[in-house]
Amino acid sequence: MAEKTVVAIQIIIVLAPIIMTPVIMYSCRISDQLRNGLSVATAAVTFILSLTLYPFIKDGGIVQLSLFEILPNLEISIRLDLLSFSLAALSSFVWLLATLYSLHYMAREHAGGRYYPVLIFTLGSCQGIFFAGDLFSLFVFFELMSIIAYILVIHEQTEEALKAGYKYLVMTIIGGLALFFGIIIIFELGGTVSLGVGPIIQERSTLGLIAFICFLIGFGMKAGMFPLHVWLPDAHPVAPSPASALLSGIMLKTGAYGLVRVVFFVYSYQLLQTSNWNDILAALAVITILLGSAVALTQTDIKRRLAYSSISQLGYVLLGLSILNNNAITGAIFHIFSHAFMKSALFLAAGAIIWKTGKRNIADFKGLGRQMPVTMGCFALAALAMIGIPPLNGFLSKWTLALGALDAEAPGFVLVLLISSLLNALYYLPIIIPAFFELPDSLQADHHGDEHDLPPVKIEEATPLMLSAIVILALCTIFFGLTPNNIAFSLSRLTAVYLLGGGGF
Amino acid sequence: MFAAAPEHLPKVYQVYYSSTVLWVTLVPLLTGVGLYFLKDSWENARKALALIISLFSLTGVTALLPMVLNGTVSFDLLDFMQLGLYFKVDLIGWIFAFLITLVWSLATIFSFTYMDLEHNRRRFYSVLIFTLGATLGVVLAGDFFTLFLFFELMTLSSFILVIHEQNLESMKAGILYLYLGIAGGLALLFAIMLLYSATGSVAIVPVLDQLTANRTLIYILFLVGFGIKAGLVPLHIWLPLAHPVAPSPASALLSGIMIKTGAYGILRVSLILFSSPTESGTKDLNYLFAMGNALMWIGIVTMLAGAVMALLQGNMKRILAYSSVSQIGYIATGIGAAMFMGVGGAMGFAGAVYHIINHAFFKAGLFMMVGTIYIYTHELELSRLGGMLKKMPLVAVTFLVAAFGIAGVPGFNGYPSKTLVHDALLVAIKYNDLISLEIAEKIFTLTSALTICYFIKLFRGVFLGPVPEKLDRDYQLTPSTIAVLSSFALIIVAIGLFPNLILERIIVPAAEMLKYEGYAMDHLYHFNFFEWHPLEAMIIVAALALIIYIPGAYRRWFDWKPPSWLSIYALIYQPVTHYLMAFTCRTGVIVDSSVDKAYDRSGSIARSWCSFIGDFDQGLDQFYLKWGVIGRKLADRSRDMDTKIDQFYEKSGATARKLADKSADMDSALDKAYLKTGQAARKLADKSADMDSALDKAYLKTGQAAQKLAKQSNDLDRALNVVYDQAGQKAREEMEKRLENRQVKDRSKEQSRWTTKNLSFDNLLLMLVLGVVLLIIFYFGRS
Repeated sequence: MAEKTVVAIQIIIVLAPIIMTPVIMYSCRISDQLRNGLSVATAAVTFILSLTLYPFIKDGGIVQLSLFEILPNLEISIRLDLLSFSLAALSSFVWLLATLYSLHYMAREHAGGRYYPVLIFTLGSCQGIFFAGDLFSLFVFFELMSIIAYILVIHEQTEEALKAGYKYLVMTIIGGLALFFGIIIIFELGGTVSLGVGPIIQERSTLGLIAFICFLIGFGMKAGMFPLHVWLPDAHPVAPSPASALLSGIMLKTGAYGLVRVVFFVYSYQLLQTSNWNDILAALAVITILLGSAVALTQTDIKRRLAYSSISQLGYVLLGLSILNNNAITGAIFHIFSHAFMKSALFLAAGAIIWKTGKRNIADFKGLGRQMPVTMGCFALAALAMIGIPPLNGFLSKWTLALGALDAEAPGFVLVLLISSLLNALYYLPIIIPAFFELPDSLQADHHGDEHDLPPVKIEEATPLMLSAIVILALCTIFFGLTPNNIAFSLSRLTAVYLLGGGGF
Repeated sequence: MFAAAPEHLPKVYQVYYSSTVLWVTLVPLLTGVGLYFLKDSWENARKALALIISLFSLTGVTALLPMVLNGTVSFDLLDFMQLGLYFKVDLIGWIFAFLITLVWSLATIFSFTYMDLEHNRRRFYSVLIFTLGATLGVVLAGDFFTLFLFFELMTLSSFILVIHEQNLESMKAGILYLYLGIAGGLALLFAIMLLYSATGSVAIVPVLDQLTANRTLIYILFLVGFGIKAGLVPLHIWLPLAHPVAPSPASALLSGIMIKTGAYGILRVSLILFSSPTESGTKDLNYLFAMGNALMWIGIVTMLAGAVMALLQGNMKRILAYSSVSQIGYIATGIGAAMFMGVGGAMGFAGAVYHIINHAFFKAGLFMMVGTIYIYTHELELSRLGGMLKKMPLVAVTFLVAAFGIAGVPGFNGYPSKTLVHDALLVAIKYNDLISLEIAEKIFTLTSALTICYFIKLFRGVFLGPVPEKLDRDYQLTPSTIAVLSSFALIIVAIGLFPNLILERIIVPAAEMLKYEGYAMDHLYHFNFFEWHPLEAMIIVAALALIIYIPGAYRRWFDWKPPSWLSIYALIYQPVTHYLMAFTCRTGVIVDSSVDKAYDRSGSIARSWCSFIGDFDQGLDQFYLKWGVIGRKLADRSRDMDTKIDQFYEKSGATARKLADKSADMDSALDKAYLKTGQAARKLADKSADMDSALDKAYLKTGQAAQKLAKQSNDLDRALNVVYDQAGQKAREEMEKRLENRQVKDRSKEQSRWTTKNLSFDNLLLMLVLGVVLLIIFYFGRS
């Protein structure tokens, strides 16, 4: 594929959703059907177009092109490499499923005319982050996405949602400012912020460290890194479930993505290793993992528990990133994939449960497995993947991460991963086991241990469209764990080699 | 991904490649899932399919025998899960696989009758068959990664078997089982990862020489991982809870088979992984000695604790469950002794493997016999049972056979294996003169005696005595039950009567793979179970049992209920898990909420600062406002003043202008005056110039006149001079005359001075004249 075509496709991927936003907004006046159709079509086109980039990527192609210059050396530019492609394809895939899911989920909610345009706009800006060719463009799209996503967070417009949204907004702005400061320092030190010129910072300096910390704050805030995670457990649960799935499954990853870019493209990772700056990241990641898991245990609201779980899981990605060897980076990137599938499946399943039964409290989940077998089955599958049960993808990412930690001769990190897995088991199994193997409280009163003739339970599932989104994501957790040569793992491995090999410079 | 490391086996061993290994595992797994989707009403189809699948696996495994006797069978799925699944069956694995499939088939048949009284059969059969595949996978796995995969699957699926009843008790037991299983799985995973990072491979091959620093950690982690499944003390706590609550066929499989996967793992790790491919140095030997000793003691403690606890139980299945713990202790002791003895450990190995085989049969059989009683009586408590000998004589007979087996009565299968383990201890004592070994041997004997005791208790409680009224009715066993129970009894007796058959055909070839020393192998190969020495040990055990049982039963020692705080669960697990969880959660929540609060607080602090600044700002504003007013007044005032000054200036300006005008006028007047004066002056000057020139002329004329005058005076002077000269001459002559006179006068009038006065008066007069003359001369000379 010619490079020009590729660039054109990339620009369409970013711009199409952004341009479609006002169209969708206007289409609400005509009919809801049209609005839904346009939203799905835009998400689908974005997904398909990002898939068409695969042949180019497969041949090892890299695009780095400056579109126009704003100030000298400060330009809007576009980049495509393995990392961009992986995340762009992943996010547009999950986005498509979440959009499909929204069609029925949001039918009951108010303000659909606001929800869909915002959903599609964030898709565009999210893709923009992944395709940005320099830190400045990345920053622009990052801020766009973060600030527009505020509208998704406060969609319910309850007091709780507004409060969470406010927290989110304040943290986003703090992060954005830190990021901006970091970019300025890099520009000052290196004279460029392009991602296409090889590591900009190769020498140790105090300013360099300050910039690194700024990036940690800016991107770490988005990725839910301790101690900047506080907005996450408030903001993710209050959003509508498909939006939560995207917030937790994809938008968190933009932070991790930014850090990958920083570690490999802004700094030379050898510098980080020799100056031990990566230890800052490692320490924060370990705290994030343990803290997220421990606090998740104490949550009784299903979505809050999932949100804390996200904090802990993103800690895995950051931990892998801080270890900086082949296996660890492979594990980190693959965990971005794994977590996107698992957590989106979990949030969508939780959403289906809330949508159908209105139950949010985990204690009320007894017997749900009989009432909603498919939803709970998918939930169980994704949760088992989270725990790291072998044939599922979560195991593969943990295994690879752990091997990376052992390659770096840090068995302590393995211990952290295993403890976190055990904690995962401790907070996921008490959701699944009562759902499948216990009777709801209402029935238990009637059946004093006499379980031989259980009353038949009417199966009440969410709509097939919603189910299909959940099932596809749940099947991904098996597919990307079980199959030989699965594409997600190959991409992760290639990306790790590409990143450690100097990013193709 | 993990290529098998080259095997250091003698050349006689061949490597076969057969997909049978995969199918015997995969078919049950897939069918297990499929069975779940069979309709509830298709009961017979389900039963038939379950039986067919378990028989299929049994056939498949049996078909591997000729191959495994000559070598190993392997099969791999490269890149499966990115890491590759690798199956490799050697004789040791085959023994387990065969046991699993055989007992599983019998249990499947048994559950036809048993499960009729249970709910949710669809799930039961589905999970039963799925678990068969998973369990087979554990023992057919060729590397630890594959083993771990199936191990986890087995843990999860057997959890569903444990909680099948779904009552409070079974849920509690099941959840404990699941959490411990997952914790064990994670320990196992950690061990495998450490192994992989140390050796670069997860193959089950001797690697002791490659392991260095953390080999003890690896061994302990493996021991914990497998030990939880096997039920080694103190990791056994889930076992006496979980095994009794499961449906009996499942209990039979859990106790008879699944705990053996733990034993299998310990065996593989202790005797294969932790051995060197080459002749090991003394350092390694010492290490193995220490580890083997530790494992053996864990086994000894396990067997004793299990037996004591079994003796104190009143529930049939709990007795059997604790009995399983105790029997696993025998197996662990055997493995420990084999590890301890290094290359001379053939006896321990053989004892452990043999006991694994035997225990599978008698324990599975016993659970099913107890299950049969439960089917008809719905009772498990010994106190409410009795007299079943008359009601179900077949069960009583088979039960007795199995009990003789487990008690180690010669002629039944427990005897040869117990004898081998015992002999392994004796060999160990022979080569290592340690007191601890002597004690171990004594405990072994004591445990064997206790085993007999609790079986007497169990048998008496169930089969002897009066039949409770409630249970006094006729019982008709189903043919399938009769078939299953008789098969177990037959197998037990067959092995018991011909113990050397299995030893020579199966166990010795398996031991040969581990390269034990020749003398040990010879000793094993020609072992005669029916000579005096082992029989004597057995008689001692029986005598000891009677000595314990008779007073014990008489004084009701065995009804003693140990206080609940004494249990390992209450002493260790509960506090540890409780405090650990509390610690984890509390720390997590405290940290999380304090971070949250820190943000909130910093937000509110920032806000208060902001409001302070706002207040300040407002104050400043008011300040400005006030001062603005003042300022305005001031400004007004100053403006007034300004205007006044202005006016003043204007006035003074006008005055000044007038003044200026006046002065200008004056100036011009002056100007004119000056002009006039100038003119006048010029005239004056002209006049004075004229005057000057006139004066000049006058002076000139005067000069000339003076010159004439001077010439005239000069002539006069000259004339005068002549006059004077003449006069002077005359005067001098006069003077000389007068002087002479004077001298005369002086001599005469020396004192008279007044003449001088006269004289000087003359002189003065002269000088005056002269001066006047000079002045006149000077005066005219000047002009």
